[in-house]
Amino acid sequence: MRALCEEAVAAALAGGASYADARAVVRRSQLVATKNRRVDQVDDVESEGIGVRVLVDGAWGFACDRRLDETGARDAAERATSFAKAAPGIHARALAPVEPVQGEYRTPRDQDPVDVPLTDKIALCLSAEEAIENKAVKVTTAFVRAMRERKVLVSSDGTAVDQDLVECGGGIEATAADAELSQIRSYPSQHEGSSAGAGWEYVLGLGLEREAPRIGEQAAALLSAPVCPAATTTVVLDADQMALQVHESTGHPTELDRVYGTEAAYAGTSFLHAGDLGSLRYGSELMNITADPTTPGGLGTFGYDDEGVPAARTAVVEAGVLRGFLTSRETAAKLGDGGGGSMRADGWSRMPLVRMTNLHLEAGEGTLDDLLADVDDGIYLETNKSWSIDDKRLNFQFGTQVAWEIKQGKRGRMLRDATYTGVTPVFWGSLDAVGGPETWVLYGLTNCGKGQPGQHAHVSHGAAPARFRNVQVGVASS
Amino acid sequence: MTSAIELAERAVAAADGDGVEAVVQAEHSGFARFAGSEVHQPTLIENVSVFVRVVRGNRVGAAAANRIDDEGLRDLALRAGEAAEAAPEDPDLPALAGASALPDVEGYDEETAGLSPADQARLAADAIGGAGDTPVYGFFTSGTATVAVVTSAGFAAEQTSTDAVALALAATDGASGYAEQTSWAVGDVDPAAVARQAFELAKRTANADELEPGTYRAVLGPYAVGELLQYFAFDAFSGLALLEERSYLAGKLGERRFDEKVSIADDALDPQGLPKQFDFEGVPKQRVPLVENGVLRGAVWDSTSAVRAGGSRQSTGHAPPPAFRRWGPLPFALSLAGGEAESIDELVELVGDGIYITRLHYLGIVEPRQGILTGMTRDGTFRIRDGKLAEPLVNLRFTVAVPDVLADVPGLTHETTLANEAAFYDERFAYGALVPALATARFDVTGNGGAPGI
Repeated sequence: MRALCEEAVAAALAGGASYADARAVVRRSQLVATKNRRVDQVDDVESEGIGVRVLVDGAWGFACDRRLDETGARDAAERATSFAKAAPGIHARALAPVEPVQGEYRTPRDQDPVDVPLTDKIALCLSAEEAIENKAVKVTTAFVRAMRERKVLVSSDGTAVDQDLVECGGGIEATAADAELSQIRSYPSQHEGSSAGAGWEYVLGLGLEREAPRIGEQAAALLSAPVCPAATTTVVLDADQMALQVHESTGHPTELDRVYGTEAAYAGTSFLHAGDLGSLRYGSELMNITADPTTPGGLGTFGYDDEGVPAARTAVVEAGVLRGFLTSRETAAKLGDGGGGSMRADGWSRMPLVRMTNLHLEAGEGTLDDLLADVDDGIYLETNKSWSIDDKRLNFQFGTQVAWEIKQGKRGRMLRDATYTGVTPVFWGSLDAVGGPETWVLYGLTNCGKGQPGQHAHVSHGAAPARFRNVQVGVASS
Repeated sequence: MTSAIELAERAVAAADGDGVEAVVQAEHSGFARFAGSEVHQPTLIENVSVFVRVVRGNRVGAAAANRIDDEGLRDLALRAGEAAEAAPEDPDLPALAGASALPDVEGYDEETAGLSPADQARLAADAIGGAGDTPVYGFFTSGTATVAVVTSAGFAAEQTSTDAVALALAATDGASGYAEQTSWAVGDVDPAAVARQAFELAKRTANADELEPGTYRAVLGPYAVGELLQYFAFDAFSGLALLEERSYLAGKLGERRFDEKVSIADDALDPQGLPKQFDFEGVPKQRVPLVENGVLRGAVWDSTSAVRAGGSRQSTGHAPPPAFRRWGPLPFALSLAGGEAESIDELVELVGDGIYITRLHYLGIVEPRQGILTGMTRDGTFRIRDGKLAEPLVNLRFTVAVPDVLADVPGLTHETTLANEAAFYDERFAYGALVPALATARFDVTGNGGAPGI
């Protein structure tokens, strides 16, 4: 694969490129899903190819080809070069300088998740589903996934890296319904469960079967729970919902390509400006956000990003102040700060974009009960159900699968159809407690969309339960 | 290269089972994406993928690959067979599609298929130049997508479709407008005109005001109607969602729930849309009435959900691409019938006092059974006063029950527009919703967001 990448880079340079990189990727992914104790899907997908990115007279070009041979490599390079030459207008895109690297990286694993027999995967799903058992539950689902990816990157700057990555995950879901309502509960996270950059031991450690009875009971109980009333009140969000809150309201707004407007037509831009770095108050002093592609088990954990920049932990928000953006070599050069490190592509057929890696809310102190104890009257919300945020990542509305009243520091009645809404810096400014390290959980999600043509990114977020004051909580509909 | 149908036949021949189905998807596409009037994510894609389902007894397994030499197909067949062996028996396994007569459809255009990367870059340049000095953000893309389905039960067909989309956001600090055009023939797509339309809209959005949350009468432009309808339809009009009681239609079929002016169908045969001959299981496409004159009529089905429904239920030809198969049947060719209004201005006059919405952003399904969605408006939201478009508004948060929006519809435009609904993830599969602009007596605004613009 390295020789093919070198061939592609050479062909691009010969065609007039001032810079070129080539990524050869071989990916195998498996999905086993069961529904109502039947196999819903057993898929085993392989995809391979090469993607070549070039700069010609300051303009980008990208082309890809499924053929992992010399012809495919050269054709992709030539097409990328010609597409860059055809770009209208005058371009002056530049890349922040980085030290060329030669290296390898391998995801630590005890058991390769792809090698686990499909029969074992099916059996795990069926046993977890069976444990949901509840008369009011109409639909039960369980799924596990596994992926292995070999990725080689060669650039004309002299970088050549070879990475062997694995990830896997799973989840269960129970949907209860009666004549009027449908209510859902899932574990360990929302619709796509949770995944990690780890071996099969991660899936076994999720305890899907152990948690199944609880989600079945809660889904059934939600059918008779009252609707969460509208109020401005104190909310405590569980670690899972906090992971999504971090993703949507700090992850995407700090992607520097969005700040510069390149996602304006689709995913949107950001309320942040490049000049806000180091001065903008994002939230309260308890807000500490870190980007860390070295986190063990993260879906955004790698040795090198898709520009060959070595993984490094960086501060994004420190004590509530914006300290860093997620960058590429191009956006870092434009900012005049840093050298990238957050460029990731979805497989071989897409151009790398600025993406989250692993973005964490750093832990504070105390248990979930400690957070609840300091609330006379409020709402505790758990597990995301719906999410929406505006194009500048300011106005958001999130719904959770379940909520409970908090009365005099204790959990009270269960509530359904809870939503909360806010404006990003105001909301984070109202943060007054974050749970301690013992409550901090690493979640991995696989459905982060961005780019045109669209790309899915797999990213992780570590988060702890957190408490916010004066939050607008509402019902599902007026 | 061999044709897609020949490749699918080779894949079927390579597999060992009581039944075998092969789906080939081939893509040849170019994407000239631009931002701030500069191309920044130019992407040329060449790919062929093969998906194989193997049935052994009552067991089924599937695998996919894009290595299409003999060795690659043998390995693919082996993995699909192993998946089938690993699966427990399914007594309700549907039969594979047999030979059937297919509808004649349009949807392929030589000129579109022949566009070179230089042509795609030129058409992007037309959009970039269409908004004068105002920066534009968007893309021009075109491609050919071939789908071939072959089954051991006798179905064998291949369709090559073309599509072209121009999308433009003209935006400055505090002002933005949006427009798009989608067709299977590039001759129907004028990128410069799209950008001009976005620019003309953007000019009217500066100095936007906030709006007191509440329930308003509203006019939704076709892009907003298309997105709202598509999100509602994922659950509401899916046969699987109906079986699982998460569809709004559950328990309400045959009831008049919407305004009698509302008629919705899924119609992949309509030449104004992006026509398809058959679905990803090899079942012929057909027009499926979903709502007729406000009465809830039905949903779309694939073979698996149809078997589970029992009785005489048959697939309506709505098995999705293999990547989406787990979600069950999906309506990818929605159409909302037009009304009698000659123009959007006429709808604005009908509404009298309310709001106008060009486009929606980041919809979320809050509660599928009640059809409750939330999202934001963007790139052209206005107050309607005295039957005319008045001052621009900031981006608005809305949380609406779609059935409420459709329950009282003062009017719809006669003209319909094909709104692009594809974000081009995974293998290329262009789809859109053919919709008019719509006036509603009820649209719930629940908050204010930022100003329009970049």
